[in-house]
Amino acid sequence: MSLIPAVGRKQFKARLGWGALAAFLWFGVFMHLLPFYIMIVTSITPAAEAMSMPPTLWPAHPTLAAWKLILHISDVARSVLSQPLSRYFFNSTLMTLSTMLLSIPVTSLAAYACSKLIKGKSARTLFIFFIGTLMLPGIVSLIPSFLLTRNFPFPLPVAPTIPGTDTAFPTLRIWNTYWAVIIPAGFSASNFLLFKGFFDGIPDSIINAARVDGGSEFNIFRRIILPMSVPVYAVVAYFSFGATWDSYLWPLVVIQDSKIAPLTLAIRRISDAFGAAGTTNPQSALGASAQMAELISQGLSWNGLMVLGLLQAIPVFIFFIIAREYLLKGVKIQGLK
Amino acid sequence: MTSVTLENVVKYYYPTIGSAETRPTLGLDHVSMKIEDGETVSIVGPSGCGKSTLLKVIAGLEYADAGRLLYNDVDVTRITPQDRGVGMVFQDYALYPSKEGEKNMAYYFEVHHRTEEEKQQRLKETADLMGIGFELLMGRQVDTLSGGEKQRVGIARCIVREPNVFLMDEPISNLDAKLRERTRTEIKRLLKKFKITTIYVTHDQQEAIFMGDRIAVMRAGRLEQFGTFDDLYYSPANLFVASLIGTPPISVLPAERSGGALKIADAASLPLSAELAAQLPEGRLRLGVRPEAWFVKSEAGSGLALTVTRIERLYTERAAFAHGEVTGEPVNALVPLDFPEVKQVFLQPDLDRAYFFAADSEAVLHTPGVPALF
Repeated sequence: MSLIPAVGRKQFKARLGWGALAAFLWFGVFMHLLPFYIMIVTSITPAAEAMSMPPTLWPAHPTLAAWKLILHISDVARSVLSQPLSRYFFNSTLMTLSTMLLSIPVTSLAAYACSKLIKGKSARTLFIFFIGTLMLPGIVSLIPSFLLTRNFPFPLPVAPTIPGTDTAFPTLRIWNTYWAVIIPAGFSASNFLLFKGFFDGIPDSIINAARVDGGSEFNIFRRIILPMSVPVYAVVAYFSFGATWDSYLWPLVVIQDSKIAPLTLAIRRISDAFGAAGTTNPQSALGASAQMAELISQGLSWNGLMVLGLLQAIPVFIFFIIAREYLLKGVKIQGLK
Repeated sequence: MTSVTLENVVKYYYPTIGSAETRPTLGLDHVSMKIEDGETVSIVGPSGCGKSTLLKVIAGLEYADAGRLLYNDVDVTRITPQDRGVGMVFQDYALYPSKEGEKNMAYYFEVHHRTEEEKQQRLKETADLMGIGFELLMGRQVDTLSGGEKQRVGIARCIVREPNVFLMDEPISNLDAKLRERTRTEIKRLLKKFKITTIYVTHDQQEAIFMGDRIAVMRAGRLEQFGTFDDLYYSPANLFVASLIGTPPISVLPAERSGGALKIADAASLPLSAELAAQLPEGRLRLGVRPEAWFVKSEAGSGLALTVTRIERLYTERAAFAHGEVTGEPVNALVPLDFPEVKQVFLQPDLDRAYFFAADSEAVLHTPGVPALF
């Protein structure tokens, strides 16, 4: 509104400009909300109608059948998803919370040390080392990381033998366990950057004052710095939650057992069941595959997938609202003049 | 009660990566001084002279690279700031922003595991000491306080623990002029009451004079002179101290001694007294005259012609400072008020109150010494 002042808005040209601007922005809002609308509407559409061409914008007979079926997915489509839905939810939650519990303290303490405790050349070197990991695309380190989970600490498919003997070196195998997802996410360079940027803005004199007051370095961090840093923790917690909750590629590589698979893998498995058959209409879909047939016969098609998609998105949305509260609360108590 | 002794303290600063300078620079260059128990010492000097570094070394926030630091007779050179029991007030107040005023003051008691009663009692005592209205500040969020109020809380946070040594790093330079005046008086009142050894860093010499029982002048990491204001003013150790202390600053003019006469700035010649003649070498030297040590005349005579560029009234006296130039050198003189709009006055230095410096170094040849006033 303040882009064009209230006084100026009385002029016709300004009104026209203001109207055009508003229209453009509303168009943007519309384009962002449209996919969500499609998701929600498809999730309450019967299976056959969800695959009909042209798609319907509002179902003829809205039904919650897909929601009920997805909640009992392991009963209705055992060959696609062997575990109950709650199991995937539990896996995702466990991995996400554990990752946050490990990564936020590790990353923030590293950033604090780098920003306030270490001075001079070593701080600089450390900083460049951490930031350097951002320069490598994640896909490049995918296979080495995968090999590391097989035979830690050797990035090799088979552990080498101890020279002169036939015994292999003892290795740690975290592949196909929860740890394979949690441990590699224990330090995040981008979150490190966020934390360091924030800590750099805190005046040294506050820390010095606390030192003179007699606080140990850790006590200063916990009692003085932490309460000041609520906003950056809220941002990082949100990023960290979203990143792990929505991660797909890495769990796909390191998790084989569907008992420990996260929700993202479950969604992919259902989506694959449709995708493999190349379904565009009910007729071709019906003949395509047994899995497909099983799903369709139960009344599940894109509608079920949309239900899963919504279930996947809702926690991130809720977490965003929580993080936003703390972000705003924290802004008020920043120590920066 | 604590005295603070520095013995040849050296502190290096290492250059940051990427700067052209590769060798470490001296932050403190063999500083030795003894601050007596209960004394207030002001440290004054231009920016970057090492005065804040000195304070940090005394607080333990930086460690000396060489030399010793003693509290009373105890060597604390390597003791952490947590264990030194000092109190420090910072220029930017450094209050803990997430806590209220009271919690700021209570942090010391929390980390030292003191009892709740002791904390409450000390908080109450401090609030009484800090004067009217202070209890109101204690309950407020730090970010709602004004600059002056913040600094009052900062000082209270410092005295609540009964520190051994009180360190102040330009505590009032962020306040506006009027508030600065008031806070200055307030701090002085508190210091008098407590008789705690205090080290007060400032770049403002007026403040240094007001606060300090003694004043330390620093330049480029070196302690140039340490003494009372009278010592610094009447017997400066060198030209730097002479020109730093005193407002307006001392006027320095080239001069030449030949026999019993002193020729000043190629413009005037004065006979030397027997006492001065015995002390000064033949040849070129520099003459320093304080603004109050000029004889002022309105008509030409044997004096120096001062081209007046600006008159600065002294409202507390029937006098003014005339700022101007004598043969290109800046000169300030105290003139009576009956020269309101003059463009030129004629000055003659009172050689009994004049300072003499070497022509090509800062060395002192003669200073008048502290006058016997009473």
